[in-house]
Amino acid sequence: MIELKERKPYWRHTKWQMIASLAPFLLVIVVLPLYAESLNVHKFLGFPLGYFLAAHGLFFIAVVTVASFVNRQDVIDHWHGAHEDH
Amino acid sequence: MPLTSRTRLINPRLGTYFGIFTSAFVGLFMLLLILEQLGTPRDLLSIAMLAGPILLYSAIGIATFTREPYEYFAAGRRVPAMYTGLALSLSAMGATGLVAITGAFFLAGFDILCLMLGGLAGFVVMAVLLAPFLRKFGAFTIPTYLGRRFDSRSLRLLAAALLAVPMILMLAAELRIGALAAAVLSGQSMSLTLLLLVVAIIATVTLGGMRSLAWSSVAEAIAALLALLVPVAIVAVLVTYLPLPQLTTGPLLRSLVRRELAQGLPIAEPPAFAFQLPGEGLSAIAKPFATPFVTVGSGAFVAATLTIMAGIAAAPWLLPRVASTPGVYEARKSLGWATLLFGVIMLTIASVAVFMRDFLMDIVVARDAAPLPSWVGELANMGFASVDNRAPQLGMTSFAFQRDAVLFSLPVAAGMPVVLLHLALAGAIAAALAAAGAVVVTLGHVLAEDVVAGLSWQPVEPQQRMLIARLSIAGAAALGGLVATLAPTDPLKLMLWSLALTGSTAFPVLVLSIWWKRLNTFGATAGLSTGFAVATLAILAGEAGILGWDGALAGIFGIPSATLAAVTASLATPVPSRLLLELVHEIRVPGGHIVYDHEMRMLRMKRRQR
Repeated sequence: MIELKERKPYWRHTKWQMIASLAPFLLVIVVLPLYAESLNVHKFLGFPLGYFLAAHGLFFIAVVTVASFVNRQDVIDHWHGAHEDH
Repeated sequence: MPLTSRTRLINPRLGTYFGIFTSAFVGLFMLLLILEQLGTPRDLLSIAMLAGPILLYSAIGIATFTREPYEYFAAGRRVPAMYTGLALSLSAMGATGLVAITGAFFLAGFDILCLMLGGLAGFVVMAVLLAPFLRKFGAFTIPTYLGRRFDSRSLRLLAAALLAVPMILMLAAELRIGALAAAVLSGQSMSLTLLLLVVAIIATVTLGGMRSLAWSSVAEAIAALLALLVPVAIVAVLVTYLPLPQLTTGPLLRSLVRRELAQGLPIAEPPAFAFQLPGEGLSAIAKPFATPFVTVGSGAFVAATLTIMAGIAAAPWLLPRVASTPGVYEARKSLGWATLLFGVIMLTIASVAVFMRDFLMDIVVARDAAPLPSWVGELANMGFASVDNRAPQLGMTSFAFQRDAVLFSLPVAAGMPVVLLHLALAGAIAAALAAAGAVVVTLGHVLAEDVVAGLSWQPVEPQQRMLIARLSIAGAAALGGLVATLAPTDPLKLMLWSLALTGSTAFPVLVLSIWWKRLNTFGATAGLSTGFAVATLAILAGEAGILGWDGALAGIFGIPSATLAAVTASLATPVPSRLLLELVHEIRVPGGHIVYDHEMRMLRMKRRQR
């Protein structure tokens, strides 16, 4: 169980982790497709690059974002003693 | 119950059970493949492919019968992360996603990516902003969460009423696409197959509620994934020599892009907020595959991505699934699985579209060689496609395809045995059952818990509670069937409206209720009603053509106005009580007891003392 004085630092830490996970991801998912047309000139694995990055690239980034969030948030939970009892 | 260790709760034989299901499903498919070669009539094959899997799902749903409310509403909180993620991704995608988006992808290429990217981003946002906290709270439905979080019964009723609307739209969309697939498979009329699906859903989920839903939809998700991946993988082996269509369609796409240039498909730049999705029925190929922003403008692309993201992240039929995971850590992890599987489905759908375009391009390029290949005639006979022979030369635009049949055209175009077509159809039915089942159970739980029994915080006696819940679930399924027959609108549109409504109504309030503790009851009420009203008006205006914006982009107005309304109304009214602030602090920390279960225990103990 978390100590009372740990709650504030825990939540500050969690907030920063939330921003660190979401801000770059949302930025990429909004901005990248807008440049797809100019990127399409290049090729990767035969795919037009803009299409490849918008489909495969964003999929990869999304999975990495969630995976890193899950692990780092778990570390934060344990660091502040906020984790569930096993 | 909640006192035992989390890991010990999980059934160690789950893998075996679903292994048995998978082998039964694959076995049925193989058997039919053999029977087809032996000359069994096609009717028999299609009936077996329709009824066999549905019987299996129903058997799972009936076998997980329960009388225990904790099991009925939260599946005993022991669905492991991977199984939850599997069911979540397929319920979010649904048959509408699998069937209609594949068709739209084939017809409009890159521009349709916004629909899929929205779903992908929705899972990421759900994992970070909402899921862990809702799991910690542990409420069985979103209105229950909002009601308890703000200690307001009227807010609970309001949320139930407003969120029922997008759920019914979603249910109608899923049932319509599912009924369409079942009608093609069985050769019966759509109203009959719709009835069949409703009966199948009632049989599957009424006896065990969330428990039946959790396990039967895992089976449905496995079936749908296999049915999607197997035909595409076979085509990939035939065409590119590798069973990895998601990665090997590149060279195919490259030559496709080159040949499409010669065909002169339209590449005009549209207005930034144009949003022209291919509709139901036969339509011609709209644009070159990989060129962005021809039917959907760049602004509309971003707006649609964000609207769908908010809709998926706050979907009341997906979020309560997270409450049935064994813990907060597993809740986060399940969203990771959901993101992964959703992405795999997205890339597979894209490769189906590339293969179909490539098959078509081969005909167009080889037009000197006399007759059309036989599969074009077959597709035309089935009503999946049509060819315009009047033009002196066949071009890409001489072909029209039915949007909702492109996924099923692939096995036909590749010249595969008819059982593979049946498999693809059965996959769409499985996805429809998974998504519609999720909505039916949630709608039933909302009706039973928040509307009928929601007038007091005291839990109803278990026996009565079960009866109300079962009746509500059956009622919700029947209502969905009725709406699906009465509202003959394009299912893709219904889905997009539903997501726009959910995103505008629930997303801002849910996020603020966790991340901004100053939010009070007035703010939440204002946020919910403003978001709903603005989104509804935007959808109606979009349909009437007043605004020049499509209704599917309604979230881009709804989300900011709901946020603004929630913040201003909260700041203008008193600070929430210390008890509610303490509750928010409690939700934010993963450790400790499950808030909702603890409260229910307290209420029960109080009543016993009296």
